[in-house]
Amino acid sequence: MLEELRELWRYRYLLYMLVRRELKVRYKNSVLGFLWSGIPLLLQVFVYTFLFRNVVGVRAPNYSAYLLTGIIPWTFFSTAILDASQSLLINYPIIRKVYLPREVIPLASVLSNFVHFLLSWALYFIVFLGIAPLFGLGTPLLGSMVWFPFITVIELLLVIGCALVVASLNVFYEDVKFIVQTVFQLGFFLLPVLYPADQIYYTSHLIRAHPWLYRVYLLDPIAAIITAYRHMLLQPISPSAFNASLKGAKPLPFDWTLWFGACLLSFLIAWAGYAYFNRRKWLFVERP
Amino acid sequence: MTETIAVTGLDEVEEGKQYAVVVSHLTKEFRVRYRTSVKRRLISLFDGSEPTLKRFTALSDVSFCVPHGQTVAIIGRNGSGKSTLMGLLARVYRKTSGEIRLYGADGGAARIAPLLELGAGFHIDLTGEENIEFYGAILGMSAREMRQKFDRIVEFAELGDKVRTAVRNWNDGARLRLGFAIAIHTDPDILLIDEVLAVGDEAFQTKCYRKVEELQRQGKTILFVSHDLAKVERVAQRVIWLMDGQIHMDGEVKTVLEAYRLYSATQAGS
Repeated sequence: MLEELRELWRYRYLLYMLVRRELKVRYKNSVLGFLWSGIPLLLQVFVYTFLFRNVVGVRAPNYSAYLLTGIIPWTFFSTAILDASQSLLINYPIIRKVYLPREVIPLASVLSNFVHFLLSWALYFIVFLGIAPLFGLGTPLLGSMVWFPFITVIELLLVIGCALVVASLNVFYEDVKFIVQTVFQLGFFLLPVLYPADQIYYTSHLIRAHPWLYRVYLLDPIAAIITAYRHMLLQPISPSAFNASLKGAKPLPFDWTLWFGACLLSFLIAWAGYAYFNRRKWLFVERP
Repeated sequence: MTETIAVTGLDEVEEGKQYAVVVSHLTKEFRVRYRTSVKRRLISLFDGSEPTLKRFTALSDVSFCVPHGQTVAIIGRNGSGKSTLMGLLARVYRKTSGEIRLYGADGGAARIAPLLELGAGFHIDLTGEENIEFYGAILGMSAREMRQKFDRIVEFAELGDKVRTAVRNWNDGARLRLGFAIAIHTDPDILLIDEVLAVGDEAFQTKCYRKVEELQRQGKTILFVSHDLAKVERVAQRVIWLMDGQIHMDGEVKTVLEAYRLYSATQAGS
């Protein structure tokens, strides 16, 4: 593992070039260019806010901020892994002909999406801490925001681990891409992306009967990461603001033990993913 | 006149660093899948019918050493293991067993430039300039090295202003010229050339050969695969003839080529 990391470090310039190339190529033939990393996100949030306010009847103040703290980490998680799953096949002509540490290819997919992820967060902070307060809206500045970089690193590790596994499997079985796509489509609704996690706690009968299931739900690193972002960047939101029938229910406190469990799990996934990738990487060009 | 070095074990070439390439008992097996569907694979697990994966030995027990500065041509029929050998030297494949050691002129780690299928890494939506930077990075150039050599690469590839346009609109000749120009400028210790010197028009080919000769004079080690025996005769100092994954003959250019021509004639006749 150490040997491989050292080799990766020697190839950091190539990794940088790959990331740059991916960012350049993506918007090469478009007029609006980099704006395309922000426009779909904003439109998505407008539509969801409209739907949840008017159709579902959510009364939460600053609901768009709650949505974004879910959608930004989720979009990075899902698009980076899907991009990475394709990356080795797309760059097959290169790895078949030239030596390079193979992991730079899925890593470049992850890191170019990471750049978009950071840009999205920048947009978020500008809107909710910079512009909205001028109109008496927006979200307060909280001390817990210092956790932001830590959560971001944890998410990056998680995504790298998943991306390496999915990318190496997809070279041999292209079903993997479709499986992952389907899982992500469902996960978007099943995981606390569009709503706070405690909505599940209060509304699911299964979880009411077996409260430990809720701990399992939150141990899922991506659910934990979204919940952590929300807790550190925003004030807790009353469950009744989401669902009128939950009158009097209190927002659940942030579970630090579970959060550190999820962090540990992310570390493990990154380590195991890299180890697995290293075991498989020589077989890519010898795909039987 | 080149002496032929027969190697039976690494111990005999303990002072391996006098060589640029030391290959000892190199064997490479590939797995080949004969049936593809999941259903068939599952069935073959139970009814003991033909296995879906078979081993195929592309190279078996190949040993040779190349001293610094020697130019070696590797010849043989299609499927004799030439490309596998090049792939192993370029570290694209991992050996099944045996040993490969590559040394630079100073005895340290060698820098290898594989000229295998030039331009395979180009992105058609990027300009020539952007591709030069990218391809250079793939071949292990640093940012500073790139800046130093950039102009020389463009000049060698005879691209002029075209280098600022997207590769999408280039003809094949221009792409190959650029690929060759970049690889040749990485300042390698060992050059691996896989049947790519048939690049561009007559004038550019001549230029490539002149460049190869210049590299020979600089003492670079060159291994190249070619079916063009006239070129082998012109460039190589030694010929290795591979047959069915083994070294059939290894030695002086004239002797090996004579035997190979005779063999080819009988094969074509039968």
